[in-house]
Amino acid sequence: MADIVLRSRDLSKTFFGKVDTPVLHGINIEIVRGAFTALIGPSGSGKSTLLNCLGLLDPPTAGEIEFDGRLIRERNVNELAAFRNANIGFVFQFHYLLPEFNAYENVLLPCWIRGGKPAVETRREALRIMERIGVAAFKDKAVYELSGGQQQRVAIARALVQKPKLVFADEPTGNLDRESGRAVLELMSELNRESNISLVMVTHDREVALRADHIYELVDGRICKYLDVAKTGKAAAEAAVEDRSCTIK
Amino acid sequence: MKAGKNRYEWMIAMRFLLRGRGQTLLIVLGIAVGVAVQFFLSALISGLQVSLIENTVGSSPHIQVLPADRLPVRAGPGVSGQNRDYGRVLIDERTEIHSWQQYVNDLKRDPRILRAAPVANGQGFIERGSAVDAVVVKGLVAPGGLDIYKIRDKTVSGIPELTSDNALLGRRIAERLTLAVGDKFFLRNDRGDRVFLRVGGIFDLGAAAGNELVALSMDRVRSLFAISGVSAVEAQVRDVFAAEAIAREYGRQYERVKLESWQEKNRELLTGLRSQSTSSVTIQFFVIVSISLAIASVLGIAAVQKQRQLGILKAMGATDRSASRIFIIQGVILGGVGSVLGLALGLLMGWGFVVGTGAPFGLEISARTLFTPIVLALLAAVVASTVPARRAAQLSPIEVIRNG
Repeated sequence: MADIVLRSRDLSKTFFGKVDTPVLHGINIEIVRGAFTALIGPSGSGKSTLLNCLGLLDPPTAGEIEFDGRLIRERNVNELAAFRNANIGFVFQFHYLLPEFNAYENVLLPCWIRGGKPAVETRREALRIMERIGVAAFKDKAVYELSGGQQQRVAIARALVQKPKLVFADEPTGNLDRESGRAVLELMSELNRESNISLVMVTHDREVALRADHIYELVDGRICKYLDVAKTGKAAAEAAVEDRSCTIK
Repeated sequence: MKAGKNRYEWMIAMRFLLRGRGQTLLIVLGIAVGVAVQFFLSALISGLQVSLIENTVGSSPHIQVLPADRLPVRAGPGVSGQNRDYGRVLIDERTEIHSWQQYVNDLKRDPRILRAAPVANGQGFIERGSAVDAVVVKGLVAPGGLDIYKIRDKTVSGIPELTSDNALLGRRIAERLTLAVGDKFFLRNDRGDRVFLRVGGIFDLGAAAGNELVALSMDRVRSLFAISGVSAVEAQVRDVFAAEAIAREYGRQYERVKLESWQEKNRELLTGLRSQSTSSVTIQFFVIVSISLAIASVLGIAAVQKQRQLGILKAMGATDRSASRIFIIQGVILGGVGSVLGLALGLLMGWGFVVGTGAPFGLEISARTLFTPIVLALLAAVVASTVPARRAAQLSPIEVIRNG
């Protein structure tokens, strides 16, 4: 029995507006602790929405989410904010660093939010993470002076600084050139392997997805394919990912 | 923990302000000018009012106990039977207070009252050679009577003593009749009786009316004008604006006299002062309104500009309350820095005004004139920042993340 860190049951999401748009339909998903899980699918399939729901940023319309065995009931936004701060790191396509702060300060922001001025130990740890990620050299630089790849690395350091249980990444390489994209990806899977942090990544790049331990494919808001790469084997997984046919379960 | 959490909101607020340096500087200057104008205006007007009131009541009684019913009675031909007696006020029994000691004692015992003294008044003529000049004669009792009119402080030559033949003259009379200390002259009453007096001292009260006075000892005036009691009991109070209330209070107690305060005699001045205060308050009100609007609009724009940052902070765990506090804190910082700068600017303006125009009055720098603009500016800043603060609280992180 695998150790599940996050599980969703019958998760549905509808955007209400002039025309109601159902985006997710009864998603059941399990995120294995310490594993790299990829969410793939064509644009508009609901990958990002699913990621935001799982990351407790966007409340689902129906269904439930269980985090570490605890059911996340309808908590108020502030409780959810504190929960995210302590347990979840995010890396977005557009790195979303704060231009008011330098790289090092950006990395430390989640610690500030958690408990005010970070302790020396926390600062040292942040610096260690930055060194590991290769951004310590420009820690004092303003973020807008950094290249896209460097900015994304800083964002990764920020996502990791609180040692979260889960890191959600939404197309983290989508905005980068091929070279830096590959480097960032390399780094993320390395970090995932080194630590017990579970990584959930949305990508439309099948090549990227093949680095993952588990692959979910979404089409039209439903999971149409699930692959446990360890079980199926790399070659079979590759074939399955390349196969465009989809069976909605 | 709590204080530590607040510190990150302060830190982010500071960074937001420093990042938009030009904008911050403009709004701080805006607040500073507003506070400076407020401080300058209220200090100037208070200073002017203090000096006006000091000029009006500084050297005159604040409260007068007068004989009841002292209406000017138009007389027929006077004792001399001459026509010029028509229209003159008859000295009547009712123009005197007989049991005046009681009133003096009562007033002196009241801690709100600085000094009280009886006075005997008359109108007479100074004769010197062929020159005749009409003067107001006051019979005073030292020291209280002299101090109500500040004669002792304002004596420019001679000695301010009220001995039997000594007369203290206002500067204007002395100049007009070329009288110097030691000179002698006749003082005639309205019935033609004369006394021979010596100039003991000359005083300068500044105001025109005061310098037309001749002050004698009260007993001298009483005998010259055949007053058996006194004309009035006069008093000065500690808080000049309390005079009317105190006068009314004693007026209810005493039946045979009436009480008048300086306010009743200076309605026009008071109306003038009041409308001055009203216009100053009106201007200050609109200054506050414009400060508030400026802060609200600048921070409102900032809240829109910082949506991305707020969204990401919230995704990382910042609460709605923290997000709104970041804007309230910006308001407090803007208001605080702006008002301190404004006060410095206001003091500079005040100094420039006093030095530049040689104004005969100073600025009234008191806790009220200093702190009111600061408190109001801070309050305006906080109130104005609640608008962007609410917007910041309501912002959903997912909106920002979804829309890139």
